[in-house]
Amino acid sequence: MKTDVAPTLDGGSAQIPTDMPTANRPMNMGQSMNDNASRLDGIAKITGAAKYSSDMLLPNAVYARFVRCPFGAASLAGVDDAAAKKVPGIIDIEVVPKDCTYHGQPVGHIAGDSPIAVNRALKALRLQWKKQPVKVSIAEGAAIDPPQGEIDGADATLLAVYSTPVQTHSSLETHGGVVDHRGDKATVYASTQGTFSVRDGFGDAIGLKNADFEVVCEYVGGGFGSKLGGPGKELILAAKLSRKFNRPAYVMCNRAEEHLDTGNRPSSVTKVKLGFKKDGTCAGGEIRTYGGVGVAKGGGGVSIPSGRYTLGTIDKKHEDVSFNAGGPRAFRAPGHPQAAFAEELALDEIAAKIGMDPLDLKRKLARDDVYRAMMDEGAKLIGWKDRKANGSQKSVLRTGYGMGTAGWGSAPPGGNAEVVIHPDGSVESRTGTQDIGTGQRTTMGICTADAIGIPLGLVTVRIGRSTLPPGPGSGGSVTSPTTAPTMMAAATQARTKLLEAVAKQSGENAADFAVQDGVVLRRGERVLGWKEACALLPADGVSGTADTGDRGKGDSQGVQFVKVVVDCETGIVYPKHVIAIQSCGRVICRKTAESQIIGGVIQGLSYGLFENRILDRNVGAMVNANFEWYKILGPGDMPHIEPVLWARGQTGVKALGEPPTIPTAGALACAVFNAVGVPVRHLPLTPDKVLVALEGGKA
Amino acid sequence: MNSFAVVQARSFADAAAAMSQKSYSLPVLKAGGIDLIDHLKEGLIAPDVLVDVRRVRTKDPITVSGDEIRIDATATLAEIAAAAELRAAAPVLAQAVENAASPQVRNAATAAGNLLQRPRCWYYRNEQFNCLKKGGPTCFAVEGENRYHAIFGDGPCHIVHPSNLAPALWVCDGVVHLTGSDRPSVPVRYLFHTPDKGVRTENVLAPGEVVTHITCKKAPASGFYAIKEKQSFDWPVVAASVVLELKGTVVQSATVCAGAVAPIPWDLRNVSLALRNVDVADDAALTKACSVAGRGAKPMSDNGYKVKLLPVAVKRAVLTAAGRKVEIDA
Repeated sequence: MKTDVAPTLDGGSAQIPTDMPTANRPMNMGQSMNDNASRLDGIAKITGAAKYSSDMLLPNAVYARFVRCPFGAASLAGVDDAAAKKVPGIIDIEVVPKDCTYHGQPVGHIAGDSPIAVNRALKALRLQWKKQPVKVSIAEGAAIDPPQGEIDGADATLLAVYSTPVQTHSSLETHGGVVDHRGDKATVYASTQGTFSVRDGFGDAIGLKNADFEVVCEYVGGGFGSKLGGPGKELILAAKLSRKFNRPAYVMCNRAEEHLDTGNRPSSVTKVKLGFKKDGTCAGGEIRTYGGVGVAKGGGGVSIPSGRYTLGTIDKKHEDVSFNAGGPRAFRAPGHPQAAFAEELALDEIAAKIGMDPLDLKRKLARDDVYRAMMDEGAKLIGWKDRKANGSQKSVLRTGYGMGTAGWGSAPPGGNAEVVIHPDGSVESRTGTQDIGTGQRTTMGICTADAIGIPLGLVTVRIGRSTLPPGPGSGGSVTSPTTAPTMMAAATQARTKLLEAVAKQSGENAADFAVQDGVVLRRGERVLGWKEACALLPADGVSGTADTGDRGKGDSQGVQFVKVVVDCETGIVYPKHVIAIQSCGRVICRKTAESQIIGGVIQGLSYGLFENRILDRNVGAMVNANFEWYKILGPGDMPHIEPVLWARGQTGVKALGEPPTIPTAGALACAVFNAVGVPVRHLPLTPDKVLVALEGGKA
Repeated sequence: MNSFAVVQARSFADAAAAMSQKSYSLPVLKAGGIDLIDHLKEGLIAPDVLVDVRRVRTKDPITVSGDEIRIDATATLAEIAAAAELRAAAPVLAQAVENAASPQVRNAATAAGNLLQRPRCWYYRNEQFNCLKKGGPTCFAVEGENRYHAIFGDGPCHIVHPSNLAPALWVCDGVVHLTGSDRPSVPVRYLFHTPDKGVRTENVLAPGEVVTHITCKKAPASGFYAIKEKQSFDWPVVAASVVLELKGTVVQSATVCAGAVAPIPWDLRNVSLALRNVDVADDAALTKACSVAGRGAKPMSDNGYKVKLLPVAVKRAVLTAAGRKVEIDA
């Protein structure tokens, strides 16, 4: 086993294995700037030294929680806060009677000197709710007739209805933060995907000019899209309270609130009528999609047809359906996983109808050659040749193989970065952009070290502050594609200034000098150590800055193969092996890149197998607003996941955030179809649905 | 959460005395504290004193001597799973707990706490739903979301009993031994009552009665099988515990009890009878005998799949008990 030396907590060092979960390193094409750098903040995170916004328990703080509607639809008719006001430590209660239309909808707040006081007051508050009838699903909000008829000129027509549940983001750190208002200035500790959009979004709530307060978000416990944009209602409340009481104000959701009122991936229904000829060409069809957006007005789009397959003329219509539930927010490739589930499974069903291997069909239909190349490599790695015909197995445990595709077009906006080389040899890498758990801090350090030519250990990375050079919000998979080239340009400029100082010393030409492995070279010969060179700098050191504009639109592709075993007596689906091939362009840190792909696969499998917001059909309350019954994939469910970084013929830094979660659930459903011979058209693939499919022949 | 006092009990008798003290209005016994913390966080109880028995234990919390197995009330699930002698004497007990919850929970949760934990029903656990178990008028599962609820028991409350250990002890003729009581013990078979006998509680213990230890018979041919949606940290949707007496591969007698299907460990005596004289090597005969497990079930709108799963779990538990290969190691 290969090992790496890592520092231990007691100041010593330890041998740690660096073998990645991939058995396919030779497959990973191209050069990475750094293969195995561990997260620069890894030790701080696992020891608790890293302080998240939710850890900011400042002295003399005010704690507040929202008062929320406990039902899907109810009018708040009466408020008796006499007992709540008497709870010791309560300083502010504001509840406004109104008609509520979803579980978790705020009607006011309670603030106090401690979280316990606030919770006691919430319990002591007497609210008179008049329950109203609720709708809790797409089916209740829209009339959906089953597809009928045949497509002219087709040898086979698929008529099918697919559905996906609501998936909540389930970020480990909940939404919210702390505002420390000190009259003419303030510090905002935000759990956000956009340091600068928080700064720009307070409006009047904070009562200060943007220049007079700082947004800090050094660490974020996940967001997946739900923490994009402005401060959110939690931070707005914190700002108002902090300003009003001139004390720090802390507002963080608890787990139930997080499930109820911080967004989700909306549910979907996709109605498919697709005609195919025997040779696998599509004779066109109709697709109707419905997005379950709860109380939101929109945001339920389903990106089918994806455009990754040539499907002829498709008549497509979409409708967003409202009902009594919290609305969606951007969620890792919005609209895509639900679409890929329907599209990939539909194509496998068509392949079965016309007697083709589904991989052959998808290979034929793929719009881009890169998909065909990825399919060929993936088929070898998963062992597609061992795939048996649909439904041909009679054993209790049946093995199935499935495949799905992903596409992404990211449009990285502009960003700024600064690199400072100090006379003592230390180097600062500065950008305000946040690290939402993806490894931004680490990649910024690598870009700086690599561009200058020094070991990573010399670099201190400063990120996640609105007083640092501005950078993008982490949405649309643009963070690395924007910030990596910017930071490298800033570092290169700083290095040039250093070399100019070195050359000036001896009256030579800076172009003859270079830095490599922390040593200054002149025409390839070592002339100075790094510290000696930096000692020649003026007292303030030198800095390089870069300001990159719009980086244009970059496309990336992915293909995933999933192998499952289905227990046909219990209906339990066991994912066994996943091959996840993903365009990556230039890889900054292989370990971090692979980790990002593995995370996307895990989230996709969890979506396909377990996750489901369950609303009580009578009163519209979410019954599983916790991690006990809102089920998420655990270690025992984890297959062997092999990320394959595909750099062939690609340049630049590509999007890795969203695409790896797009194809997984679809590929999983195709694998289950292959194993059991009947499609399960409704996620999640729980035993009840698999058993129904096995017994009735259709789900 | 409100303030409360903590009494550190030195013995179970101490604990029983503390639980009966008139000066406390709502004393609650604490062992591993797993279910207790859940209840406190969910706002379902507000004790004024916790009587902590976690550290009350004998030198050897799990013993096998002669024909008897003895388990301290405060033995942890991890200890039960790890005790080699116990596993040989009654595999069903070790198998019932070895994959329960998570490693962290198993390291803290105790034998008695597992038996006496309250149900996980999402209506019971949500303070917004004033269900039968909390003194309200309705079981919300009947007309509501019931995919994980009971298929046996006829209500009026449709919880499933959450303990894996209870059905396993049930088939091993387990007995809970008490202090603070005028009865020395209660058989596990009579420890639980159906909701029609009192919907606010799940067991027959009176306030002040404290479990000291559990005994049961040896059952070397015994097995447990749970069907879970998730393979880590999930509750079974059905589970079966079986004790066999075998002559070769032929069942002489069988005792079968199901978990996660009824408000109490569910006596599958029809399966026990059907298994008599069945050759476990005869797959068709075994499948047929186990197929009666779902008889008499009254599923609700969303939990009919449990009726199909129960015979599968029973069959796999029988095969496990008989030491045969179960085709389940996916």
